[in-house]
Amino acid sequence: MNKEIIKFALLFIVMLLAQVLICNHIAIFNVAVPIIFIYFIIRLPISLGNGILFTLAFIMGLSVDIFADTLGVNALACTLLAAMKRPIYYAYVPKDDKTKYLTPSISSLGVGVYCKYLVTSVGLYCLMVFTIEYFNFANVKEIIILAASSCLLTFIMLLAIDSLIIRKS
Amino acid sequence: MRNLLNFIIRYGTWFLFAFYVLLSFVLLFSHNSYHHSVYLSSANAVSSAVNSTSSEITGYFHLRSINESLQASNAMLENEVLNLRHQIAEYQTILSDTVKNKNYEERFKYISATVINNSVRHPRNYFSINKGEADGVRRGMGVVDQNGIVGIVNVTGRHTSRIISLLNETQHFSVKIKGTQFIGSLAWKGGDPWIAYVEEVPRHAKFCAGDTIVTSGYSTTFPSEIPVGIIMNRVKGSDDNFFELKVRLTSDFRALSTVRVIMDEYKAELDSLQNYDFKPDK
Repeated sequence: MNKEIIKFALLFIVMLLAQVLICNHIAIFNVAVPIIFIYFIIRLPISLGNGILFTLAFIMGLSVDIFADTLGVNALACTLLAAMKRPIYYAYVPKDDKTKYLTPSISSLGVGVYCKYLVTSVGLYCLMVFTIEYFNFANVKEIIILAASSCLLTFIMLLAIDSLIIRKS
Repeated sequence: MRNLLNFIIRYGTWFLFAFYVLLSFVLLFSHNSYHHSVYLSSANAVSSAVNSTSSEITGYFHLRSINESLQASNAMLENEVLNLRHQIAEYQTILSDTVKNKNYEERFKYISATVINNSVRHPRNYFSINKGEADGVRRGMGVVDQNGIVGIVNVTGRHTSRIISLLNETQHFSVKIKGTQFIGSLAWKGGDPWIAYVEEVPRHAKFCAGDTIVTSGYSTTFPSEIPVGIIMNRVKGSDDNFFELKVRLTSDFRALSTVRVIMDEYKAELDSLQNYDFKPDK
């Protein structure tokens, strides 16, 4: 258990730094932004209590916000994503005792199911974060372009990060 | 009562959820307020330490283009100095008895600073610099780089400050068309970091594409005649009584590196004049 805590604490710091120092400065074609720090929320164990899950997600979002001066945007989107984590998970995984204690990853869910879980989470997050940030329905077309391109880029990067981490462990 | 307690315990985590959502909304809608806490901005100690470390490395990336624009601006200034020297010499020979070489009190002072964190892709962009209150930076001061204006100081820490970038939808700047007295309000509307708009230009204003837009000098934030952008064309504005101009900005916001904060020595005096109540003698 302690090992798990250290692992996730490390993941929190690495993801936060990678986001604010590298990914926040990338905007391919001025639209596609990699939002990789939500990997931390995606990877948290399903059995984790809601209270801890919401708190961790909120702190993660707020930390990114403070670095990027987008106060509230990511904090809100992260909290909402945390609330949707379980419904998204059970949309693809049968609800029984075996799946209750899994940590979402390629090795535990299989490539197909994990990809579906990942792309749904990332897609929803991108849509939420750009809707919150632009907060104006006159920009619907803009928001959809930003969200779709960022979702694709983030999805590819997260799969790459996954393969790196799994090879190591 | 017991039922209520049971209810709260049972759904406690969702109360927590509602609390976080509410807190996020509070933070989200406080973005306009001038009274941001330093701790919640990128000017706080931890994030400025992290950002300075990374800017130590990334600061080298744009050096070539920055060097070129510095050279250009240096050449222009040298030319101007020569010109002015020449003019002074001429006046002194013609009117040596009336023109005195009076040492004018310097009104504006500059504090040089390095950008340690910058963004251009949000609707409301900010950047942070490595100078703060200890160096004399105060809220509301203007910030320029070698090409033109870039922002206004928003939050100050001890050794860092956060600047509202010109690329921020909520921030407007008072500008005019160079060589005329037609003023307008410069606003950035998101998207391209090179393009901004000058609103509320009077309909009788005369200009053509390629004219320069400069600061108006009607505030204590910026001295007059600092370049802002080049007029591209006229666009259809929201108000038919005014023109709206599309402007290409002179500063490259994606490659901000060294900026100067402008200190106006007259600011306190001018501000107190504006608050002055005129009471006629009886």
